Amino acid sequence: MITVYTPIGKRDIEKVKVGDQIAIDGMIYCGRDAVLPKLVRLIENRGLDKIGVDLEGAVIFHTAVSPAGIGPTTSNKVEIEGSIPALSRAGVRIHVGKGALGPNTVEELKKYHSIFAVTPPVSALFSDKIVAQRVAAFGEEGMEALYQLEVKGFPAIIAIAHGETIFGAHRPG
Amino acid sequence: MGLIGLGEDTKMLTRAKIEDAVKNCLVKAGTTFRPDQLRAYRRAIKNEENQGAKWVLERILENAEIARRNAVPLCDDTGIPHVFLDIGKGVSLPRDWLSAINSGVIQGLRAMPGRPMAVRGNPVERVEQSKGLFRDPGKVSPAPVIVKSASGNKLRITVLLLGGGPEIRAKTYRVFHKRSIEVVVGEAAHWASSEARSLGCTPCVPAIGIGRTHVEASALMLEAMKDGSLSRQDHWEKRVTELINQTRVGPLGLGGNTTALGTFIKIGPLRASGIRVVSMRPGCCFEPRKASAILG
Repeated sequence: MITVYTPIGKRDIEKVKVGDQIAIDGMIYCGRDAVLPKLVRLIENRGLDKIGVDLEGAVIFHTAVSPAGIGPTTSNKVEIEGSIPALSRAGVRIHVGKGALGPNTVEELKKYHSIFAVTPPVSALFSDKIVAQRVAAFGEEGMEALYQLEVKGFPAIIAIAHGETIFGAHRPG
Repeated sequence: MGLIGLGEDTKMLTRAKIEDAVKNCLVKAGTTFRPDQLRAYRRAIKNEENQGAKWVLERILENAEIARRNAVPLCDDTGIPHVFLDIGKGVSLPRDWLSAINSGVIQGLRAMPGRPMAVRGNPVERVEQSKGLFRDPGKVSPAPVIVKSASGNKLRITVLLLGGGPEIRAKTYRVFHKRSIEVVVGEAAHWASSEARSLGCTPCVPAIGIGRTHVEASALMLEAMKDGSLSRQDHWEKRVTELINQTRVGPLGLGGNTTALGTFIKIGPLRASGIRVVSMRPGCCFEPRKASAILG
């Protein structure tokens, strides 16, 4: 198990490979279908500063945040997978979710020194790993708002890194 | 209290009993593993050689233990409630039984708590999700209740919670059967296998309904989830599981022996035709999340 501390540098990413188990310590952002395209539009319009979000070295976990807990949603939904290249370019180093991503995304991740990690939807277990949480932006989206969580020992496995993927040549439908 | 189906041998159920049963079933379904699930995971861990896959299976069991101990949801996607009633011929329901079920669902969602994911607005606004979400988890209304008659004088209420991941990967479509169950089951297994990698939350537990119409096949698929047990698998259920496991997608897509934990199949009445309508829902690693109560 490799402990990864946020913010994460490009050199930290070079040290991990597909199949590695990691434990994340520090601050992570949580967002999914509703909010990730909004973040991408802000990046394109150079508006991230206005909402006080810094993505350099960040982790984004594809999840809602609610009284029911947190847990990965399917990352190959159009709104989520489609946001990965722009978010990686803006500095996100680790995207965490579940489900296979396509070959274009594998290439984009490599290009921007970012990786994709998967984690099981173990919400009860995650509840033991959350130290603090707050709404970071887009509160009007409710459980789909952009949240920032402080986590300790958040578990995941590297699924895509440096152009390699556990999902092989299989293209998700 | 007004009753339907009155008869000499009938037993009267109260609104309060139905409401409580639905509430308790919903919470239990969302927060606990059943013995057949625990056994299936222990078996899978023993048979798994891939270390990453084994790690995932162990975390799922650990999660079940924490959920039980802390009475919290197994998964943050607490699902859309589906209620299934098997009504014994000798059972009398109170006049407002459907309202009691809906009320039980609301109470259960608030108690668990369910994820507040009901979408606000008029039909178009709901589709576009432009008016935000309700903060009350109780606003997640249940899917239409399915009712079947049963022998005896008991009412069996089953609450199932259906997560969103498998809904993305489910399919109801016709299959040219060529007068072969192997062909029909093989096609459903092919659908499930094609979706397993993208599903993410494997090991999956596919449910398959085979019927005459799309509505009927979907209802049979739900009934297969309701009645199925991972400790009791027939030949064709084992066959589907075996075919899916040949993909070696494994837990979370990490590879290994455990892409599917088991399969549930329900075959209904069929019509004279060269096709069967098949509904396949892959089911995630916590499904079927279900609990039943027997009243009367």
